[in-house]
This record gives sequence, C-alpha cells and structure tokens, in this order.
Amino acid sequence: MNNFQRDCCELLAERFRGGKLDRRGFLTGLVALGAATVAAPGARAAGQELVVVNWGGDAIDAYSAAFAEAYEAATGNKLKIDGSGPLEGSMKTQFESNSVRWDVCDAEPYSAIRLGREGMMEKIDYSIVDRSKIEPGFDGEFYVPSYFYSNVIAYDAARFGDDVPSTWADFWNVEKYPGKRTLYKWMTGVLEAALLADGVAPAELYPLDVDRALAKIEALKPHIVSFWSSGAESQQLLRDGEASMGLLWHTRANLTKQDTEGEVDWTFDQGLVSPSGWTVIKGNPAGAKAAMEFIALAQNPDNQVTLLNELGNGPANPAAHALVSEEMKPVDASSKENLERQIVLQAEWYADHYGTALDKYLALVSS
Amino acid sequence: MAARLNIHTIAMWLLPALFLAVYLAPLLGVFGWSVSRPEPGAENYVRMLTDADALNIMLRTARVCILVTLTSVLLAYLLAYHWVFGSPARKLFMELCIFIPFWISVLIRAFGWVVILRNKGILNETLLSIGAIAEPLTLVRTEFSVILGMVHFLVPFAVFPIASVMRQIDSRVLLASRGMGASPGFTFWNVFLPLTVPGILASVIIVFVFALGFFITPAILGGGKIVMIAEYIYIQMFQTSNWGFGAALSIGVLAVVAAMAGLLFKVIRPERLVK
Repeated sequence: MNNFQRDCCELLAERFRGGKLDRRGFLTGLVALGAATVAAPGARAAGQELVVVNWGGDAIDAYSAAFAEAYEAATGNKLKIDGSGPLEGSMKTQFESNSVRWDVCDAEPYSAIRLGREGMMEKIDYSIVDRSKIEPGFDGEFYVPSYFYSNVIAYDAARFGDDVPSTWADFWNVEKYPGKRTLYKWMTGVLEAALLADGVAPAELYPLDVDRALAKIEALKPHIVSFWSSGAESQQLLRDGEASMGLLWHTRANLTKQDTEGEVDWTFDQGLVSPSGWTVIKGNPAGAKAAMEFIALAQNPDNQVTLLNELGNGPANPAAHALVSEEMKPVDASSKENLERQIVLQAEWYADHYGTALDKYLALVSS
Repeated sequence: MAARLNIHTIAMWLLPALFLAVYLAPLLGVFGWSVSRPEPGAENYVRMLTDADALNIMLRTARVCILVTLTSVLLAYLLAYHWVFGSPARKLFMELCIFIPFWISVLIRAFGWVVILRNKGILNETLLSIGAIAEPLTLVRTEFSVILGMVHFLVPFAVFPIASVMRQIDSRVLLASRGMGASPGFTFWNVFLPLTVPGILASVIIVFVFALGFFITPAILGGGKIVMIAEYIYIQMFQTSNWGFGAALSIGVLAVVAAMAGLLFKVIRPERLVK
C-alpha cells in the first residue's frame, strides 16, 4: 500500500535528488516527518534508542541513517529509523506476537482508534503532550495529529478554461466537464465525495450511507481511467492528460500544478481533510514516556512550518499558521480559512466501518 | 539396538526437520487462523465459497491465469523450437531473447509497459503520427495490459521445460516417420508434438502457479481495477485486518497449487525435465 504518509517521504527524496532541496531542508523535513528525530532532551540516559516508524522506503532509509549518525554523535542518544510503514496489520502483528519494535508510529488515526479499542495502543499522555498545541477537536485518545492533508479536486485547467469545477457534483458531471476521472484505490475520502456529489449536505454525511455512495461511484465508473494507489501515479494521470479530473492529495495536486505551470489546477473547496496521527503501541521498547516525549517534541511549530514549505503538509499545531509565508498560505490545509472550505473526515467512522466498506468498494472497483 | 547418531543420520534428517520447522509449522498456524478468527468454525471457508465479491475475484484470477498460461506456453513452444533446432546464430539470438528479460526486475518491466502503452506513450504517438488512428487507444490500465505484462514476464519460465523435452527427442524417430512417407506436418502433429507433451504440461503448471501469485504487475498495469487473489489476500491481512478470511483464502490458493503440483508429479516425471 502506498498511502499519504509514505508519499511524503517519496516527495522529499525526489526533491532532494532533483536539487530543489538542500541537505538542511531535507534533514529538517525528515525530522518533521519523524523519519529522523532528535532524542528528547534530558529525560533519558545517553545511549538509549528510540525507534520511529514511518513510510520512508529504501532511499530515505539510506539518507536518514546517515543523518541519524550525526544526531547520535551530538546527543549521545541512539536513533533508529524504520521506514517499513506502520500498516494496521503490521502494528497488530507486533502487539500480538509480543515483539513490539516501534516506539512511535505515524499511522492512520482510524487504525490507532481501532487498535486502541482492542487494548493494543497506549493512551496519549496529555501531561506530556501539550493539548494546546493541537488543532482543537483532534486531541485523540490514542493519537495526536502529526500533520494535516486533504483529498482535493484537481483538474485540467487548460481544458476547462474559466469555468472551473469546485464541487464534487462538478466532478461527477462528465457532460459539463468531459474527460476521464481518477479516484483513490484505498477509498479514504471517496465515499464522502460521492455522497456530496449526490446532494448530501456536508453536516449530514456521517454515518456514511455506503450503498448510496457506491451506487454513485458505479454510475461514474465508465469514466474512471484508474483507481490510483500511489501519489506519483495520480500525478502522472493528470499531467499526461489521461484524466481531466481527479481526487488527489493536495500535496500531489500542488506539485502537478507547479510541474505543468498551472495547466493542472486544484481547489480546497469541498476538500476532504484529515490528520495523520502519532500513535504508540503498548509495550514499545523505549517505554511510553519516551515515546510521548518525542510526540511533544514534534509539536514544535518551526518543524511543522518546514514540513509545510517542503511538502505542503498542514501544521497540526495551530500556532504554526502565524509563521506561514504569504506564498504558502494557499497550500496550508489546516489554516482557519482553508479548513472552513473543507470537510473533516471522521476517523471514528473509519474505525468502525473501514474494513467492511473497503471490501464492498474494492468489489465495485474490480468488477 | 540403539540407533547411532552419526553425522550421516543428522544430515539425512536435517532437511525434513527444517521443512517441518520453517514451513509446516507456520502453515499449520495459518490454517489455525482460518478456522479460529474471528470465531471458531468454518465460517471463513463458507464465505470464500459463497461471497459474491470473493467469487468474482477468484473467477477473474482464474480467467487471467488461464489466458496468460495459454499465451505464454504457445509463445514458449515457438521460442523453444527455434532455440533447440535453429542454426547456431539463431540459437544465440534466442538465448539473448530468453535470458535478458529474465534478469530485468518485474517492477521495471511493468513500468516499461506503462511507458509504451499509455495515451501519450510510444505506441499511441507512433500510430497517431502515421495516421493509423485518430484518438489514442486505451491500452494501459486494462485487463489486456495486465495479461500482456504477465505473459512477458512468464514466457522465459515456460521455455525451459519445453526446450528440455525437445532436446531429448531422438531425431531418428522423426526421420523414421519421414522415411515412411509422412509429410512434415503429419510428422509434427503426430510424432513430434505428442513427444513434447510432458514439457508442455510442466510449463502449463509452472506458469499457472506463478501467475496465481502475481501482485505487482496487475497493480501497476491494471489501473487499480484488476484485483487478483494475491492482492485480495494482502488487503485482508494488512488493510482490513481480516486475518481469518485472508488465511482461508491463502489455504484455498495453496490447495489449488498443491493439486497442480500433484498433477505434475503424477502425469510426468519431473526428473525428466532437469536433464
């Protein structure tokens, strides 16, 4: 699976290799993503190890390992980066087999909730993690937002001229906006988009009417060229004109806009926004306290703004928005102005229904 | 009389012991999951055989695998024939054609096909520029492109068993057939082809079993729409944490593979193929 979290690390590596990002920026980006990290100050003895798992992939591992050594030398604390990706199944395996190797995971909030309910995750310790540094309403029992990202409408601006799409109803309107479409293979945000297109009011989305959403998707299916499963793939589909409109992560949408010099554009209107979450498996090797200290450290607004500048990920700490440059404000997924245009994905619903709904969705996708 | 534990006995039992420890035991664990998660019983197997969505995916997998197998084995037969009976120059050429793709990663090959087949790809651009088509053809992200990518990967695997059997054919038998007045066509269909049947069967089984486990190629070339059994199992294990059902599906695939392997041993003698 290639989800948003993994995509961030791929983007960083691409930019670094392409010379768009210097070593320092790359390093700060990795730190903000948790792919590399400074050991929490003071609290722990020198030589201790903290394992942070993200979606890095092989290339990132090599780079970040090199930087990690530098950190180790500076702080005396060991850092291990694991880029293998905290999929729900993997976290569950580690817990059940009593061999937890990861201290902090950058995972889907609904996975954290689901495993948390089964008693597999640590409750977030809000005496260490600062609630006031979290976007209000997102202080989860089992996760803390690491950053925000959005599922947005990206479209072929060169083709549609002045009358551009701005709603999911437009997305479904193939007469007015001809051309193929592309949607996300792993379903996040897609059911919501279908229901909004079918006329459901944003406030009445949840609980999602899965059958209604699937019927709406089925009607669009002849026009869907691909259900993309990696960020790079979604970008290629829009850039090459294979799709005239797509549900894309806003980071990839923005990159496609830059690549095509505006021939592809995108909007936060009716974007489906969600945090990614720091979460801790029970029995993590360095102990819950060290993990919570890392999460508290990652709340630093400077790191979060760096992440926004390099990747477009929206800060999780509201204080960070004040530090965002004018140029980057339109890309900031979690600023007050942009949040107002979007709809928040409900992690609780996904925790209860993701498995069964995904089964039905994939049956439709592959029929 | 007590058995003596010498180095010879240890060596003899090492392989079976290893087999038990690293293969059979985990396998029993998987079987255990399939009848115990989420609740004890055969529920997962019932679902596997009755759930319309699961059946659809199995049917698609079967269809793709059969088409891929037939195409691959036919192509491999032609390749093997030229490889075994061609002039030295042609043999060398065939060897290059068989071995070079063998060494290229499955990922690179799948992306290579995307580059060739996509709307603005090499093939469509060429056809458009010579005026053969007015609109780009939809070639990639279809079942067709998945089958193409899989055949491309699997043909070399199908060549070896067939070529091996062809090499063992006694050319005097063919000469005898011709000497008694049979036409070249008659000799091929009634003498040569029957003699190569064990190689064909072995190729069919090898390719089919390989094709069953394909994951990356359908995912890349199928536009997300061609979900086959291997990806479906992956989804159950990692995406939806539905371990019991995933385990039952794995056992199902294993049963098919085991049945085919049994057939391989029964119909042909595998040792013939490695001469």
